[in-house]
Amino acid sequence: MPKSTSPETTAPSGARPELFIGTAGPGVKKTDPILVADNVTRTFGGMTAVDVAHVEIPRGAITALIGPNGAGKTTLFNLLTGFDRPTTGTWQFDGISLAGMPAYKVARTGMVRTFQLTKALGLLSVLENMRLGATKQGGEHFFTALISSLWRKREKEITAQAMELLARFKLDSKAGDYAASLSGGQRKLLEMARALMTVPRLVMLDEPMAGVNPALTQSLLGHILNLKTEGMTVLFVEHDMHMVQTIADWVIVMAEGKIVAEGYPDEVMRDTAVIDAYLGAHHDTDLGSLTGQLEVAKELGDEFLVSEISDEIQEEPKNGK
Amino acid sequence: MKIPQAQASRLAHRARGALAILIAAAALILGPAAMASAVETPAPTPSASPESIEIWIRVAADKSNVPNASVLVTGPKGFSQTFVTGPDGKAFVGLPRAGDYTLLVDNKSLPAGKGTPPSESNPRVVTVSPGDVEDPAYFLLVPGGTEPSVPGSTNTPGSGHHSSSGNNTDYGALVANLTANGLIFGLLLALASIGVSLIYGTTGLSNFAHGELVTFGALTGYVLSGVLHLPGWIGIVGAAVAGGLMGLGQDAALWKPLRKRGVGLIPLMIVSIGLSLVLRYLYEFIFGSDQLIIPSDSHAAFVLGPIKFTSITLISVILCVVLLLLVAFILLRTRIGKATRAVADNRALAAASGINVERIIRLVWVGSGVLAALAGVLIGYYQTLRWDTGGSILLLVFAAVTLGGFGTAFGALVGSLVIGLVVNLSTLIIPANVQNAAALLIMIIILLVRPQGILGRRERIG
Amino acid sequence: MDLSFLWLALGQIISPQTIAYALAALGLAVCFGFTGLINFGQAGFMAVGGYAFAITSVHFHWAFGWSVLASIAGAVIFAFILGIPTLRLRADYLAIVTIAAAEIVRYTVKTPNIAPVTGGTDGINGSSHAFDAFNPIPVGRYGFGVLTYDQDDLWIILVGIAVTAVAALFVWQLMRSPWGRIVKGIREDEDAVRALGKNVYWYKMQALIIGGVLAALANIINIIPTSLQPDNYGTQTTFFLFTIMLLGGATTVLGPLVGSIIFWVVLSLADGILSLGVQYHWLPITQLQQGPIRFVLVGIALMLLIIFRPQGILGKKREAYFGA
Repeated sequence: MPKSTSPETTAPSGARPELFIGTAGPGVKKTDPILVADNVTRTFGGMTAVDVAHVEIPRGAITALIGPNGAGKTTLFNLLTGFDRPTTGTWQFDGISLAGMPAYKVARTGMVRTFQLTKALGLLSVLENMRLGATKQGGEHFFTALISSLWRKREKEITAQAMELLARFKLDSKAGDYAASLSGGQRKLLEMARALMTVPRLVMLDEPMAGVNPALTQSLLGHILNLKTEGMTVLFVEHDMHMVQTIADWVIVMAEGKIVAEGYPDEVMRDTAVIDAYLGAHHDTDLGSLTGQLEVAKELGDEFLVSEISDEIQEEPKNGK
Repeated sequence: MKIPQAQASRLAHRARGALAILIAAAALILGPAAMASAVETPAPTPSASPESIEIWIRVAADKSNVPNASVLVTGPKGFSQTFVTGPDGKAFVGLPRAGDYTLLVDNKSLPAGKGTPPSESNPRVVTVSPGDVEDPAYFLLVPGGTEPSVPGSTNTPGSGHHSSSGNNTDYGALVANLTANGLIFGLLLALASIGVSLIYGTTGLSNFAHGELVTFGALTGYVLSGVLHLPGWIGIVGAAVAGGLMGLGQDAALWKPLRKRGVGLIPLMIVSIGLSLVLRYLYEFIFGSDQLIIPSDSHAAFVLGPIKFTSITLISVILCVVLLLLVAFILLRTRIGKATRAVADNRALAAASGINVERIIRLVWVGSGVLAALAGVLIGYYQTLRWDTGGSILLLVFAAVTLGGFGTAFGALVGSLVIGLVVNLSTLIIPANVQNAAALLIMIIILLVRPQGILGRRERIG
Repeated sequence: MDLSFLWLALGQIISPQTIAYALAALGLAVCFGFTGLINFGQAGFMAVGGYAFAITSVHFHWAFGWSVLASIAGAVIFAFILGIPTLRLRADYLAIVTIAAAEIVRYTVKTPNIAPVTGGTDGINGSSHAFDAFNPIPVGRYGFGVLTYDQDDLWIILVGIAVTAVAALFVWQLMRSPWGRIVKGIREDEDAVRALGKNVYWYKMQALIIGGVLAALANIINIIPTSLQPDNYGTQTTFFLFTIMLLGGATTVLGPLVGSIIFWVVLSLADGILSLGVQYHWLPITQLQQGPIRFVLVGIALMLLIIFRPQGILGKKREAYFGA
C-alpha cells in the first residue's frame, strides 16, 4: 500500500489498491513499478513515432495502453521488448536495464509478449507450440539434442506443464492438431498459453482481442484476469473501451507517440479531453469509405496517399458512382 | 519477405535527386568508346561434347574475313598445335580437355597491309570450361596492332590485367576509357534493373528469369538484323515490341494465375528460377551455344580526348538516357506512374483507393519486358551475344537493385551505375576475370554497412 | 538397338554423384526445408569444402582425416562469413548474398594468379590417393555388364552410402529433438520464437553451418572418383539441389535422398532416350541440341513441383512448407 502523504495526492476512494504516488497524469510515479522507462524515443525518417519522457508500469496490476491508430503503442511495445531499437532511451525491468538487449534476452528476464497479428506456428502441432515456450530444456542445445536420454526427462515435465495450461485454455483436445487448423480466437489463446510456458512475470499482450469472436472474448478476459490472480503483471494494447473498463486497473493513453494521460479507467474515460482528442478521432472511422481512408492517410502523414485519395473523392461524383 | 514501404512523399524528393544524377550522367557520357563486355566467362555447357575453341580473324576496318592465317594454340598437358583459318576466316580447334589455352596469331602469316592483332590480345589466353563448345577467340586486325576502338575487345576471359603499358595508352586514358565503359554498362544495366525493381516493388517477386527477358530482346534483334538483315532500327524497335509482348504473356500465362492462387513469395521466386532454366536452355536449343553477332558499324564516330566511340555507341547512350528520363517522367508525373508507386508503397491501401492493382502490375510487366529487351538488344549491338547473355548479367542486375534499395526504381539506376563502374574500374587492380566478383563483393559489403541500400529506407518493424 | 543406357540409368541409383547430391540436398533441407533459410549458396559450400579437401591433400599431403577436417572447417568458416552479416537481415538478403558469395568463390578459384594452388580453370586432380589408400576391398572388377566397378569405385560408393546414412540419422535425430522444434519454429515465424526467449540468430547460424558441412562432405564424395572442376559449382548446381530437395520433400529427411535418386535416374534415362532419338533420326534435333534439353526438363520439373506438389513425393500435403 502507498505510503505517500503528499498533499496533492488525489487519493481515490474505496478499496481500490493505491497504484501511484502524487497526481495522476502522464509519467506519474507508481508505488511499486515493475517496468520503468525514461526518455524513450523512436524516429522513422523525419517522423517521431514514439516520444515517451517517463512511464512506469505498476506491478501486479493490469495496465491498458490505449490510443488512436498510429499513436505509437505497438512501436513502444516493440521498443520495450527489444524488437526494435530506440533512437534514445533507457528502461529497467525489475531493476534490470534492458536498453540495447536483444529480444530473446528480454524474454528470458521474464518479460514476454504476444503479437497483434497472431503468430501461431502453423506447421507445428499445438503441443509443440507450447513446448517451444518452455525454459531450461537442455535438448535445445545442439550437442545435447543428439542424445535423446539427455533431454527426455525434462521433455516429460514440459509436456505435463503444457497439457495443464492447454486444459486451462480448453485447447487440450487439440494438442495433436496443427496450429494452422485452429480458429483465429483459438490461436490467440494458444499464443497466450505459449507465452505462459516461459513462466513470465510481466505479460505484454498486443491487441489480444483483435479478430476474436464475441463468444471467445469473455473467456479471454477471464484468462487475463487470472494472470493477475496468479501474481503476474499484465500490460496490454487495446482498442475496445468496454474491455479496458472491464479488466484494466490502470490506463495509459498515447497519442502521436506521447503519453497524454494516465489514470484509473473510469477517471480516464471521464476525461472528455481524452475522449475527444484521442479516442474519438477514429472511433468509428469507416475504412471502406474514401473519406475514412483519407482520414487515416492524413494521420499516417502520407502526403502522396492523401492527394491520391483526395483526387479520387473529387472524381467520384463525376464518375457518377 | 515484406514489401518495403517507401513513403511516397520521400519518393518524390528522392526522384528529384535521381533526375539530377541522370542529367549528370548524360552530360558525363560524351565520349565513350567501348562497351564493357557483359558476357562473363562462358558457363559450362551441359552436354558431354568435347571442348573446342573457335578462332575467327577479321580486319577491324571492314570486318572482312582473313583466310590462311596460322595460329599456334598451346595448352595444358603439353597441347601444342597450329591451326590455319579457312575462307570464312575461322578455324575450329578441337581440344582434349578444358583449361587455359594460349593463342598466338602468327603475324607473318597475315596478308600484308591489313594490319595485325593488337599486341594486348596477341597472344591471348582463352579459358575453356568443361563442356564449352566453340569458345570464341576472335581477332580483329588493326593497323600497327594498336588497340582499336572496337567494342567488346576489353574483356577477354582469362586475359589477366588490363595492361597500362600499351604503346599509346597512358594510365589516365585507360581510367577515362574504363570510366566511360562503366557508365555505359551501368546505363544498360539500369534498363534491366528498373524492371526487376518495379516487379519486386509491385508484386514482391524476385524475378530470377529477368535475364532471359534481356536475352530475348537480344535474340529478337539478332533475328531481325543479323538473320533477316533488316535495318538496325527495326531490330531495336522489334526487340522492344517483342519484349513487351513477352512481359505481357508471362504475366498473363504464369504470374497472374500464381498470384490468384495465393502462391507465396519464396515459391514464386523458385518458379522464376525454373522458368529461367527453361527459357535459357530453349534459347541454346534454338540458337546453339555459339556467340552471335548483330552487324553494326564499328567506325569511331566521335572522339573526346582519349575516348572514342562508334555511332552505335552514341545512339545507345542517347537511347538509354532518353528511356531512363521517360521512365522517370512516367513514374513521377503521370497518373499511371503515381498509381504504380502507390501499389509499390502499399498494395492493399492502393487497392482500397480504387487503383486497379492488376492492371498496374500488367503494365509493369510490359514496361519491364520492353526495357529488358532493349537492354539486351543494345548489349547485342555492341558485342556478340549468346543464349546466356542475360543470365550472365542477372546477378549484376540483382547487385544493382540491392545496392540501390530493393523496390525503388531510382535506386536501381544509381546501383546500376555503381556496379557498371565497379566492374570496369576494378580491372585496374584485380584480374579481369574476377571483375564480376568485385561487383558482387561490393554489394555484400554495402549490405553490411547499409542493409537498406544506397537510397532505400530502413525498414520499419511492427 | 543399344539399350545399355537402361543399365546406366539404373546404375545412377548408387553412383557417387547421386550420393553426393543426396547429401548436399539433405544439407539444403536442413537450411531451407527445416529452418526456412533461403540458402542459394549450397554450390559455394560444396566448392569451399572441395577445395579445402583437395588443396590440403594434394598440395600439402595431409592425411585423409585431416583433409576432411579442413573441408569441414572451410564450410564452417564460410557459413560464418555469410551468416554473421546476413542472418539478421530480411530473408531475401540471405538469398542474394549466398548466391553472390558462391559465384565469388567460383570466379576467384579460377583466377590465373592463384592457379598454382587452385589449379585455375583446370581444377584439381588426384585427391583420391589418400582415400584409396584405406581401401580394404581386394583389387578386382565387381558387378556385371556396364555396371562394373573396380575396387576404388566400389569403395567410394560404400563409404558414400554409409556417410549419407549416418548424416540422415543425424538430421532425423536433430529434427525430433527440442533443437529441431526451435528451427522449425523459426521457419514458421522467427519473431514468435524470439519472443519466447530463443536466440534465433544463433540457431539460424547453426543450421547454416550444418547445411554447409553436409555440402562439403558431399563434395568430397563427389570429387574423389572424378576431379574438382570449378565450373561444376555454378548457380545451376544449387538449383539442381533445390529441385532434388523439393522433388523428394523439403521438410523430410529421406526426401532429398529419394529426390536425388529419381533426379539422376530420370536425367540419365532422358539422355539415353534422346541419344537414341538422335541416332535413329526419330527427333529432328542434333546431338548438340541434346544437352540443353535436360536443363529444360529440370526447369519444367522445378516449376511444376512448386506449383502442383510443393510438399514433394514424401511430404504430407499439409506439411508443405509453402502451401499453394
